[in-house]
Amino acid sequence: MYIPDFELHRPTTLDQAGALLQQYGLDARLLAGGTDLLVDLKTGRVVADHVVSLHKIDGLRGLSMDGGTLRIGALTTINQLNASPLLDGAFSALRDATTRMAAHQIRNAATVGGNIASAVPCADLPPLLITMKAEVLLWSAGGERSVPLEAFFLGPRQTVMKEGEVLIAVQVPEPPEGFGSAYSRLALRNGNGIAVAAVAAGLTVKDGIIGEARIVLGAVAPIPLYAEEAGKLLAGRAPDTAAFAEAAVAAEKAAEPISDVRGSKGYRRDVVGVLTRRALEGALERAGEVSQ
Amino acid sequence: MITLKLQVNGQPYHTLVDPGDTLLDALRLKLGLTGTKKGCNVGDCGACTVLVDGEPMNSCLLLAAEMEGKEITTIEGLAENGRLSAMQRAFVEEGGIQCGFCTPGTVISATALIRKNPDPTDEEIKTALSGNLCRCTGYGGIMRAVRRYKEYAGDGDAPPKVDHGTRPPLSDPRDGGVGVPIPRVDSADKVTGRAIYTADIQLPNMIHGKILGSPYAHAVVKKVDASKARALPGVLCVLTGDDVTDTKYGVSPARYDEDVLAKIGGKVRHVGDEVAAVAAIDEKTAEQALELIEVQYEELPAVFDPQSAMAEGAPLLHDRYTKNVGTHVKQNFGDIEQGFAESFQVREETFTGNSIYQSPLEPHASISTWQHDGSLLLYSSTQVPHYVQYMMAHVLHIPLGRIRVIRPTVGGGFGGKAATTPLDILSALLSRATGRPVKMVYSRSEMFHYGRGRHKQHMKMKLGLDKDGVIKAFQSEIHLDGGAYTSFGVATAYYAGSMMPTLYHIPNYRYDGFRVMTNKPACGAMRGHGVPQPRFAFECLLSMMADDMGIDPITIRKRNAMTPKTRTVNDLEIDSCEFRATLDAVEKDSGWKEKYGLLPEGRGIGIGCGGFVSGAGYSIYRGQVQLSHEKGREHFQKKSIFPHSNAVVKVTEDGEAAVLMIGAAEIGQGSDTVLSQMCAQSLGIPVSKLRMRSEDSDISPIDLGAYSSRITLMGGHAVSRAGVDVVNKMRPYAARLLDCTEEEVEVGGGKVFVRGDEERSAPWAEAARKYFNDKGPLVGTGCYKPPDGLGGDYKGATVGTSPAYSFGSSVCELHVDMGTGKVDIDRFTDSHDCGTPINPQAVHGQVEGAIVMGASETLMEDVQFDERGRILNPDLHGYLIMTIKDAPEIFSGIVESYEPQGPFGAKEIGEGSTLPVLGSVAHAIANATGVWIKDLPITPEKILKVLKGKK
Repeated sequence: MYIPDFELHRPTTLDQAGALLQQYGLDARLLAGGTDLLVDLKTGRVVADHVVSLHKIDGLRGLSMDGGTLRIGALTTINQLNASPLLDGAFSALRDATTRMAAHQIRNAATVGGNIASAVPCADLPPLLITMKAEVLLWSAGGERSVPLEAFFLGPRQTVMKEGEVLIAVQVPEPPEGFGSAYSRLALRNGNGIAVAAVAAGLTVKDGIIGEARIVLGAVAPIPLYAEEAGKLLAGRAPDTAAFAEAAVAAEKAAEPISDVRGSKGYRRDVVGVLTRRALEGALERAGEVSQ
Repeated sequence: MITLKLQVNGQPYHTLVDPGDTLLDALRLKLGLTGTKKGCNVGDCGACTVLVDGEPMNSCLLLAAEMEGKEITTIEGLAENGRLSAMQRAFVEEGGIQCGFCTPGTVISATALIRKNPDPTDEEIKTALSGNLCRCTGYGGIMRAVRRYKEYAGDGDAPPKVDHGTRPPLSDPRDGGVGVPIPRVDSADKVTGRAIYTADIQLPNMIHGKILGSPYAHAVVKKVDASKARALPGVLCVLTGDDVTDTKYGVSPARYDEDVLAKIGGKVRHVGDEVAAVAAIDEKTAEQALELIEVQYEELPAVFDPQSAMAEGAPLLHDRYTKNVGTHVKQNFGDIEQGFAESFQVREETFTGNSIYQSPLEPHASISTWQHDGSLLLYSSTQVPHYVQYMMAHVLHIPLGRIRVIRPTVGGGFGGKAATTPLDILSALLSRATGRPVKMVYSRSEMFHYGRGRHKQHMKMKLGLDKDGVIKAFQSEIHLDGGAYTSFGVATAYYAGSMMPTLYHIPNYRYDGFRVMTNKPACGAMRGHGVPQPRFAFECLLSMMADDMGIDPITIRKRNAMTPKTRTVNDLEIDSCEFRATLDAVEKDSGWKEKYGLLPEGRGIGIGCGGFVSGAGYSIYRGQVQLSHEKGREHFQKKSIFPHSNAVVKVTEDGEAAVLMIGAAEIGQGSDTVLSQMCAQSLGIPVSKLRMRSEDSDISPIDLGAYSSRITLMGGHAVSRAGVDVVNKMRPYAARLLDCTEEEVEVGGGKVFVRGDEERSAPWAEAARKYFNDKGPLVGTGCYKPPDGLGGDYKGATVGTSPAYSFGSSVCELHVDMGTGKVDIDRFTDSHDCGTPINPQAVHGQVEGAIVMGASETLMEDVQFDERGRILNPDLHGYLIMTIKDAPEIFSGIVESYEPQGPFGAKEIGEGSTLPVLGSVAHAIANATGVWIKDLPITPEKILKVLKGKK
């Protein structure tokens, strides 16, 4: 349970970090909060000869508003995100995730960028962020590109990030009028519990009719799963129990769960339906709040 | 290597670290700040929490090399110039501490919270502390400490102190004697990080050992090649099965079936079974060496549950156990057939338990160092220093007297540290081979693979009641999944049957028990040894039948409740028994009558009961204290050969203090505190004048240890008798000072005085000094043997015997999320008959801890295995124990009771308080959902499944 020797690099600019990543390729790992990486290094799941810490690089921390877009620096910790007044308004649903994931100490270390870039299927931020149409900003020596979060994940611990790229920020556009989102999550215990299944829902409601609906599933597929069909079912309909029940069935069908120590495939699928309804109800309530 | 400047607790430290060194290892190993604990090493437990720039963080998940320029605060940095911080005092006074291993991290988290938010809500407290696991307190004392912080800070109004119900004390409560809820005597050390646990000890020239475990559940070890490991720089010794003794060891003397290391050509029987051991200059090198040991195995077919293990043609783990049955119990009392024939209603049900691991926060650890006189000094994190001494003598073939066992502060045990471990034995062998002190510490995963958790039991039970619900007959058939070795298993199999007739009158009783070997880590004795799962099953069955017959579940229990002065059908002697009073209390305090059957769907209330022995009537080995090789099997005598508990009190020469020596293992349960209270009471001095020495076998005489809930009763007798012995020796000198007869001398409050005339007094110390002037050292001794003749004359009659039995009832209230099956426990109302509570705060601490542990094992705990016997969740994020956010509010009451066999009327609380919990939770879930779930743990998934089936 000791970390095998590696070389620690502490670049102060992104250019230096990029050069190190180019130089060492697959032998190098980026270190942000470390709550995943250090565990993986200790247990031998990850072997790295070079660890490139991002902590000395300025400008990767904190939240800001640019026009209506919320920009969250990749090194912002979960608790910093949670405490930010910028979450008090349209983005408050993010607190559904930040208050429930992991434990307080972990939330003081774990970063928003890490929660996304680790690409763990049960990560709590991606589902909500996808309902909000967030994009991740990827830096490389050649420039920056932004990728919609729903297109970022390829599989467990696999993303579209290329060698030499660093995830530097998440950008969340200002939601349209009448938008609300919510995150419903089941864990086997109330504190420090990993999600067995989770569903984020985002709704735009105008004059009692759903405009757009986005439903994203967590912990029940190899990636945070954008259940596009389930959302489409709701477009143009009144946000009522029957509509939500249909969406819940569609979400259950979309899920691709596995069985593990936390629950069986079948149970996860059942729970997805329940959580979908709850997330939709929560989102609807928030949509009401915003439109008033 | 990186040269690092760390700012810790306001001071600069310069040190060298490797890039991969965590802040935790740097603090502990480089800076010597061992108050920060390593409980899991992967951010699951929170014992390593420190403040980094004011924010609580897991130091095991931070690289030391990244900490330059940060302000780090550890537990050692909270007290100022030796004065405890307000939060530290709150933890001490409010009972927020038991074993103390989680305490530094928890206090750090609480301190960070209060600095930011001086007026937190309960929800905010729970959020702040949700990453700090505690296995002892049930979080009750921790919540009280943070809620009442302001009281200690002198800063505004705090909620009122919870009244633990001080009993009419036997003397001035300021003296802290019997009945007074004083803080633990070790709490100041534990809250400051000063308490020293085994892994905290650094001896000069010390090296570190690790064990290579088998990757296979069942295999023959064909060849072990350690040449590459031996060649690794820094490796000092590698031992394989051929390098160590052939003597087998274990717990039950008739069933020593464990090899120190698997023999070449011999077998490994579970994943993790010990194959080789390494000693190296540091733990990291030892870990690397393990990977270089090449072992050839021939994999064998394996069995993972009792049913397949007993099947025709199943592979045998041990040749000596036919059909893999290590123990078969067959007991039949009364006339079972007649009993069922006379029953008005009979119901038979099957229940299944779960694999529970004790999960103490402190990992097992041992340090061995051989002395120049050829004796062994062993530091061990153990509940049973004496049995460790005994077993080490057996394995090492040296007399017991040549082994000194020091039990440093122990961070919880719950039965998981109740036997000699491979760490004890292999550290001694590696130390002997290298001539250097050897430290060995389990990782969290290694703890799970060593095992000794609760047996998973498969239970078939049949109960017959008359038309009033009075028990006519009870029959139980249990298959215990034992794992690969016997360990405590013989006793477990007997306990699973013997305790059933102690709670209710059962006139006709039959029990068949099979303890079956399977290719999993050996199971052992866990809190409530063998009884919690059968008790769960019985309580469920009784409540089911109460509902069947339209009798209130509490009423049916009252009709069957055990009564004082009863000899049970299986020949156990119950003396004091206020079980019925505990039922009355929980019925009233929980508002049972307004709730049972009247709650809406999704909300439930349930009752469960239980009790336990106050110390086993017989010791594990039955002869004299001597090397077991040197004596033949002795004919069983129905009495104790030697005293189970022994104490010495030595008064200091100035008479101003006394030292109490007894080898009773303080493991967090509070034995040092209650023994101090009883001894001080007998001596007639304030407890503050008594110092406890319980940790060193060279100093403290034998006590059998912290198991079977024995210390309060047995140790209590020994220490109070030692106190009386001192007082009797002082009598002539006191009489002279007081000018009265020796018989008229009384002691109390640090004085000697004339009975009936307290004005005529002299300082206690003066009388002691007079004694010393005349006779030299003032020393008293005391010992305790259980009464002769305990138990019946049938096979296994010794198991379940005890001088006294505890009783208790628990009402659980909860709600179930009918959509997901998730259960939240809202409230527990508990009442116990523990005789005289020596320390009411300690009693409630045990009850709260037992309720949360019991509820946790009912709902979420289970060691899971894959199809090849590998543990799927050997960690604290896969194996779940309740956090502070899961723990219910607990109302714990103590009924009036006096046990004639106990010191000052006391009996046990630690294990008995676990027993009602499982059944009460299961009942409350059934009450909330309308369906009974009969296999543990009762997960949301199982609940949802039956709910769907119901629809």
